[in-house]
Amino acid sequence: MIGSPGRRLLIALAFLLPNLAGFLIFTAGPIAFSLGMAFTDWALTRHNKFSDTPIRWVGAENFSRVLTGDESHLFWDYLGNTLFLMLGIPVGIAGSLAVALMIHADPAPRAIRARARSATLAVIASAIAVIGVWLLTTPGPVPIAGAPGAALSAEQGLGDLTVHRVAELRSNAAVLATAALGAVVALGLAFGSSFFRGLYYLPSLLAGVATYLLWKTLYRPEGGLINAGLRPILSSIQGAVASSPPWLWYALGIALWVLGAIWCVQLLAVGAIRLSNRESGIAAFLGRIGLAATLAACLAGSGFLLAQLPARSLFASGYAPLDRSALLRAVDQLMSTMPDADESELRLAVASLGDAASVRDAIEALTVAAPRTSGSAEAVRRAVITQARPTHDGLTAGEGLSPPQWLVDHRWAKTALILMGIWASVGGGTMLLYLAGLAGIPPELYEAAAIDGAAGWKRFIHITWPQLAPTTFFIVVMATIGGLQGGFEQAMVMTQGKADTIVLAYYIYNLAFTDQFQLGLASAVAWIMFAMIFAMTLINFRFGSRLTNE
Amino acid sequence: MKRRSLTNTLLFAGLVLIGATFIVPFAWQVLISLSSLTDVDLLARTGFPPVLRPGNYAQVFEKVPFARYFFNSCFVAGWVTILQVITSAMAAYAFSRLRWPGRDTVFLLYLGTLMVPGVVLMVPNFAIVLGLGMFNSYWGLIIPAAFTAFGTFLLRQFMLTIPTSLDEAAAIDGAGHWRIFTQVILPMARPGLIVLAVFAFLGNYNSFFWPLILVKDDNLRTLPIGLLAFDSTYGRETPLIMAGSLLAMIPPVIVFLVLQKYLVRGIALGAVKG
Repeated sequence: MIGSPGRRLLIALAFLLPNLAGFLIFTAGPIAFSLGMAFTDWALTRHNKFSDTPIRWVGAENFSRVLTGDESHLFWDYLGNTLFLMLGIPVGIAGSLAVALMIHADPAPRAIRARARSATLAVIASAIAVIGVWLLTTPGPVPIAGAPGAALSAEQGLGDLTVHRVAELRSNAAVLATAALGAVVALGLAFGSSFFRGLYYLPSLLAGVATYLLWKTLYRPEGGLINAGLRPILSSIQGAVASSPPWLWYALGIALWVLGAIWCVQLLAVGAIRLSNRESGIAAFLGRIGLAATLAACLAGSGFLLAQLPARSLFASGYAPLDRSALLRAVDQLMSTMPDADESELRLAVASLGDAASVRDAIEALTVAAPRTSGSAEAVRRAVITQARPTHDGLTAGEGLSPPQWLVDHRWAKTALILMGIWASVGGGTMLLYLAGLAGIPPELYEAAAIDGAAGWKRFIHITWPQLAPTTFFIVVMATIGGLQGGFEQAMVMTQGKADTIVLAYYIYNLAFTDQFQLGLASAVAWIMFAMIFAMTLINFRFGSRLTNE
Repeated sequence: MKRRSLTNTLLFAGLVLIGATFIVPFAWQVLISLSSLTDVDLLARTGFPPVLRPGNYAQVFEKVPFARYFFNSCFVAGWVTILQVITSAMAAYAFSRLRWPGRDTVFLLYLGTLMVPGVVLMVPNFAIVLGLGMFNSYWGLIIPAAFTAFGTFLLRQFMLTIPTSLDEAAAIDGAGHWRIFTQVILPMARPGLIVLAVFAFLGNYNSFFWPLILVKDDNLRTLPIGLLAFDSTYGRETPLIMAGSLLAMIPPVIVFLVLQKYLVRGIALGAVKG
C-alpha cells in the first residue's frame, strides 16, 4: 500500500462514504439521539409544530417512572410476559439438537437414491400438472361430494350433510393425508437429509405475519384444527381422569420434570466442564458460578413449564371464560363501593370487552372507565375477581374435559405462543448451526470411542455434546438476546396484546406510537431492554469469543 | 448390521413424522383457502370442504389491493437488497483491503452498534424520518434499511478470506483501487454477496415493525401490513386471509429453493443476527 496517510484516508473515505453516511444517520446517530431522548419528556402530542411547549430535560425521571412509579406494574408485568415466553427457548434448542442429530445420521438408504429421485420428481411434476390443469379449467366452485352446488351453512351444522357425504369427505381427507405422507417418504428417500433440512427450515423461512395468521386459525377454540384434534383425545381419557385422584396427574407432571432435570444436569455438567477448563483461578470459579446460575434458571424455567403442562391441560381447561353476566355483577359491586363512578362508562367498557374476556382484560378495561381516584384500581380488581370466580373446576358432572380456549384465554395465550414458537424455530437457524457443528466434529473421535466400546447415549454424552458446547453456548446467548427483544409481532397479529401477551417490545410500541407518542418514555424502556441485552453480550464476550472461534 | 438398519428405519420414520407436523398446518391452510366462508366451521369435523372454491384467490385481489401490496413488498425489499449489498461491499473493501488512519476505531464503532437492539433504533429513526419528510413514503421504507453495520461486518469477514496475492498482482499490473474492487474482489466475494442479498431480501420481505409505524397510506402497505389490515377489516373471511397468506409465502420459498446453499452457508458461518 502506497501513498501518504491523507491520500489513503481519502481513497478509503470514497469507498466508505455511502455506507458511513447512512450508518451515521440511521444507526450511530439514532443511538446517541435515543440515549438523549430517554432523559426528556418528549411526546409528539405535546411537542409539535402546533405548540410551543419546549421539550424538558427530566433527568432519570422516565426511568424511575417505568421501574418504580405508579405505572411500574406495567413494566414488570410485561417483563414477566417476556420471560415467560422465553421459557420455550430451551425446549426449542433441545428440539433443534435432536432434529439435527437425526438429520446428521442420514438414515435414508443411499443405494436407491438416484432411482427414487427421478421417479419421485416425475410423480410430483405430473401431480402438479394435473391439479393445475384441473384448477384452471374449472374456475367456479368445485363440488366434491354429493349433489353439485349444495351449499352448507354452519348454522345447520352437519345436519344437511348426509352420513354418506360426510364419509365421502372424510375419505377425501384421508386420501390427501396419505398422499402428503407418501410425498414426504418419497422425497426423503430421493433426496435424503437435504430434503428434510429444507422441509424443517420452511416454518422459520416463512415466519411472519402470514404464518401467525395461519396459527391464529389453527388455535380457534371452535373449528380450529388443534382443538379438533384434542377433543377426541380428551374425551377418551375423561373417564380415567374422573376416576383417578388429582394428585396423580400432578405427580406425573413432576416426575416428567425430574426426569428431564436429571438429563439436563448431566448434559450441562459435561458441557460446563468443556466450557470452563480453559479458564483459571478466580475467573474459572466465577465463570462456573455464572454459568451454573444461568443454566439453573433455564432449567427451572423449562421444568416449570413441563410441570405445568399436563396438570394445566387436564384441570384448568374447563374453566369458563369470564362471561358478560359476571362482568355486569362486577359493575354492580363497583357501583356500590364507588358511588362516584359513572355507571354508563363502566357498562360501555363491559360491552366493548365481549364474552370470553380474561380477568386481566376486564380489570384493565374497567380501571380505564372508572374515575382515577386513589384505590380505584384495587376496587376494580377485587370486584372482578370476586364476581368472576371460575364457576366450575374442569370436571363438573356432564361438562367433561374441554380443550383450552388458547388465544382468548389469558392462562393459555402465552403457552399457545410458545408452542407456535417452538414449531417455527425447531428447524431454523439453530438446527443449521448444530448441523454445521456436527459436521465439524473430527471422525477420529468417534473411531476412538468405537474402539472403547462407547455407543449411543455414552457416545453422545462424552463426544458429541462436549464438542458442540461452544455452538450451544453461542445459540443460547443469541436466543436469549432475541427472546428479550421478540414477541411483538406474534402478539400484535394473534392477540392484539389481549389475553396478557404484551411483551417489552410491544410496550415500547404502545408508548411511542399509540399512547400519546411518548418518545422519551419509550426510549427509556428501550434502554432498559438494552441494558439486559448488554449483560448477555458481556457474558458472550467474556466466555464466548475464545470458544466459538476455535 | 441388522440392528443398524432397524435404527435407520426408526430414525427415518421419525424424520417423516416430524416432517408431517410441518406439512399438516400448511395443508390445512390450503384447504381453508379453498373453502367457502360457512364451510370453514365444518372443516374440523369433515376434514375436507364439500365444495372447492379456487375463485377465492381471485377474490383476494378484488377485496384489497393485494397486487399493490405484493409489488410494494418486492419493490422495497429489492431496493434495500441492492443498496445494502453495494454500500456494504464498498465499505467492507475499505475495512478489509485499505490501510488508513482510524480504521480500527471506526470498525469498532460499527461492531459496537451490532448489539444495540432494533427497538432502540425504532423510536429515534421514526423522529428522524419524520424530520426528513420521509414519513409515509417509499423513501422512508427503503433508505433507513439500506445501510447496515451487519452487512459490512459480514462482507468484511468474507473479504478477509480472499488471498491478498490476487489484488497485489493486479496492483503491480497498474490497476487502481476501483478496478481491483470491481474486477478482483467482487467476483471472488460473490458467495458472500449472495449470502448478504438473501438475508437482506428475506429480512425486509418479512419486515413488520418499521412499515407498521411508518406507513399510513393503503397504497404503500407492504404484504405483512396489508395482511394484518386485511385480517382486522375482514376478520371473518378466513378463507380469503388464508389464500392471501399462502400467496405471500411464494417469493421467500422461491428465493430459498434457488439460493438454498447460500442461505445454509451463511447461517453456518454464524451470520444469523438475533
